[in-house]
Amino acid sequence: MTETFLRTIGIRKSFPGVQALNNVSIEAFPGEVLSIVGINGAGKTTFMNVLGGIVQADKGEIYIEGKLVEINNPLDAEKYGIAFVHQEMSLFPYMSIIDNMCISSFPNRIGFIDYKLAKERCESTLKRLGCNFNPRTKIQDLSPGDQQIVEIARALLGEHRRLIIFDEPTSSLSIREKTRLFEVITSLKKEGISIIFITHLLHEIFEVGDRLIAFRNGEVVGGGMIKNITYKDVISLMIGEKETDSFFGHRALKVVGDPALEVESLSRRGVLDNINFTLHKGEVLGIWGLLGSGRTELARALVGLDPIDKGRIKINQNGTIKAIRHRDAKKWIGIITENRRQDGLLLPMSVKTNISLAGLRKLISRVWPLIDTKLETELSKKLVNRLDIKITSLEQQVATLSGGNQQKVILARWLMSNPPIYIMDEPTRGLSVEAKSEVDRIIGELADSGAAILVISSDIDELMNVSGRYLVMRRGRVVAEFQAEASKSDLMAAAAGGSHEEVC
Amino acid sequence: MEIEIVRKKQHLDVRYFIVSQGFVIAMVLCFIVFSIIARNFMTLKNMVRILHTEAPLLILVPGLAMVIMAGKIDISVGSIAFLSSGIGVLLLTHYNIPSYVVFPLIVVIGFILGALNGLLVVVLKITPFIATMGTMFMLRGVALQLTNSMVLSIPKELQRLGYASVGTIYIDVIIAAIVLLLAYFIHVRTPFGRHIMAIGNEANVAEQLGVKVPKITFLAFVLSGLFASLGGIFVLFQVGAVTPTMGQGYEFNAIALCIIGGISLFGGEGSILPGLLLGGITLGVIENGLNMVGASPYAYPFVKGGVIFIAMYADSIKRVLRKTKIAIPEEPFTTTVGLDHKKSSVRSNK
Repeated sequence: MTETFLRTIGIRKSFPGVQALNNVSIEAFPGEVLSIVGINGAGKTTFMNVLGGIVQADKGEIYIEGKLVEINNPLDAEKYGIAFVHQEMSLFPYMSIIDNMCISSFPNRIGFIDYKLAKERCESTLKRLGCNFNPRTKIQDLSPGDQQIVEIARALLGEHRRLIIFDEPTSSLSIREKTRLFEVITSLKKEGISIIFITHLLHEIFEVGDRLIAFRNGEVVGGGMIKNITYKDVISLMIGEKETDSFFGHRALKVVGDPALEVESLSRRGVLDNINFTLHKGEVLGIWGLLGSGRTELARALVGLDPIDKGRIKINQNGTIKAIRHRDAKKWIGIITENRRQDGLLLPMSVKTNISLAGLRKLISRVWPLIDTKLETELSKKLVNRLDIKITSLEQQVATLSGGNQQKVILARWLMSNPPIYIMDEPTRGLSVEAKSEVDRIIGELADSGAAILVISSDIDELMNVSGRYLVMRRGRVVAEFQAEASKSDLMAAAAGGSHEEVC
Repeated sequence: MEIEIVRKKQHLDVRYFIVSQGFVIAMVLCFIVFSIIARNFMTLKNMVRILHTEAPLLILVPGLAMVIMAGKIDISVGSIAFLSSGIGVLLLTHYNIPSYVVFPLIVVIGFILGALNGLLVVVLKITPFIATMGTMFMLRGVALQLTNSMVLSIPKELQRLGYASVGTIYIDVIIAAIVLLLAYFIHVRTPFGRHIMAIGNEANVAEQLGVKVPKITFLAFVLSGLFASLGGIFVLFQVGAVTPTMGQGYEFNAIALCIIGGISLFGGEGSILPGLLLGGITLGVIENGLNMVGASPYAYPFVKGGVIFIAMYADSIKRVLRKTKIAIPEEPFTTTVGLDHKKSSVRSNK
């Protein structure tokens, strides 16, 4: 066996409320592609950020070629020859390809950038990836796929690269570009460079990977040489042994009502492709898909936060189902997202103000066109009690509440305006277990009262707990529909795509 | 394997061209209109005069421009110019310190005041607008106290410097050209300049890539202070004295100049050359032209405001147009295994 290039021992990292990494020990060898898998939130990206010096581990040791090292910032990582292709685009849109590739390592001559040399370096690296863009092109003029190529080229640029981390590099590449990338990875491997490859698309692991490590809840749960592993093994490693098939579908038994929302061939170029489905009254429809599958984009498009290119949205209005103008969708659909702090709540304001915000029109006094504060207090109090929000007074600042209670304030707000349809995108992200089940209970109650609910969650157990039916999305398409009795591996397999033959 | 790159056809988009080059077009129109109406407008002498009027502002602005390109703002440049020049003139006239010591010292004071702004923003993490608004008031207060709110003249031989010329070109125009060129090279040809742009584009990403964001931001504010004091010196030469209103409104004239020159207030976009030069000339042409055609002196602020609106509007249209121009991958929904909707639902029914 060749000597390890990188070895980590007992890496731990916690963020407020979450143990993101727990005792992670791995090894990476030169000339080998190590694939790391795990569902969203398993800790893969955090771990890579530790290696890349973007976050610091709370505890643990990192050895490079047997020597204990400290990686405190991205420059340290660079020094040890670790390069990182980030999951989300980390490019500067208004700057040229050269600037983007060389930003942390401009070749300079007496303090001035040697552009000629920089350009040559960029060109030769891009050529290696089979591209011949003019390196002076600005990033904003490139397609997303081309931008991804630039991002990869940046990681390849340095001459002393020893380890390259690819965090979902293929998400916006076309087949052709992907093939090319895999060829490059193979050739890098031959040069003795270690590669860590993170992906959600499992078939890619079988295409390029040599060895596999699975993460779950911030821990390494298993792995092995890829040639000895089957597709099914990978899935069960990712989602865990307990196939809680007995747990599913308390909602499935419920009788669902008339259609509340019909979506016809909804498309948004590059993001959503021909989405069709119907959502019924009293139903909780779960959308399952991995990161980048288009689930959040679907939610945003449905409520009109993002434009759509094609398709119709029909909504049941007093018994008749009618197509609506896209920009009016917000009138019928309430949206709850994971970003409570960003787009949901006015943090410095009181609980009451936050609750009444969406329903102010209802609160206008009959006598004069002012807000009836007595009614406002009364209704807010009622909702606080109904949802069991833990507050000291209605005037308490929302910023001081826990995440779960904040989420309930948002729910209360929507209950105030009472839309017939709800879209919940990761409604329980970051909440404690108790708060999660509380929110899930409220979702159930809402459905029982006749609301139609679309739930998106990365937590497959939770999703299966609340939903009565599932749609699985991958790459902007609805690829499968399952009833409540589907199993976890059905959902996982459909979402990860690829070699279905090996699953069944 | 050679891969063919499919290039989008770049056909000339007339609308995009007009919007993106709108300012140059508008400026040319201004030139034409003014030269038709006012006989003396389109003369070499007048052109030189326009440049001469704008020179101090052009010397003052490059540092501020870098702060803006880093996505921050500095509205204390006028006060910095006032205070540093004020101290300089006091030393010159009351303490008889020779001018070859005083003028470098003025620049050093600008450097220190810029560092103060940098400290407030980077270390104390005060929003740049608020931090520099604070220093804008404070420094002006200090300067008024020191100068006793009086007009302090500089010696005659120094006053002459403001109108000294080489041939037909004033010295301060030459200095402005040198300063702009210097700033241009700092901006495009040094890692510092590129890092400024990176921060303005996406500070988080820059941080991830190892750009020392706090250090670079701090330096940008230092440069802003430094250039401000340098600009102040040339105001001093032209006016011949430190007056209690010196530098007042300069910050906003300078910001206007940046905006008109195509520097985005959101950061990450813009250029020293030709941007600042164009901005400066536009402001100068309007002011001078209105003067020449005999418009009311109050017309200038009004027109300046209008020009800023147009500049901002053109900028926002440009963004919208560009958004629709951005290409989307040719094969957005390719999956390597052809698993379509039908197949998988059949499977799931098993």
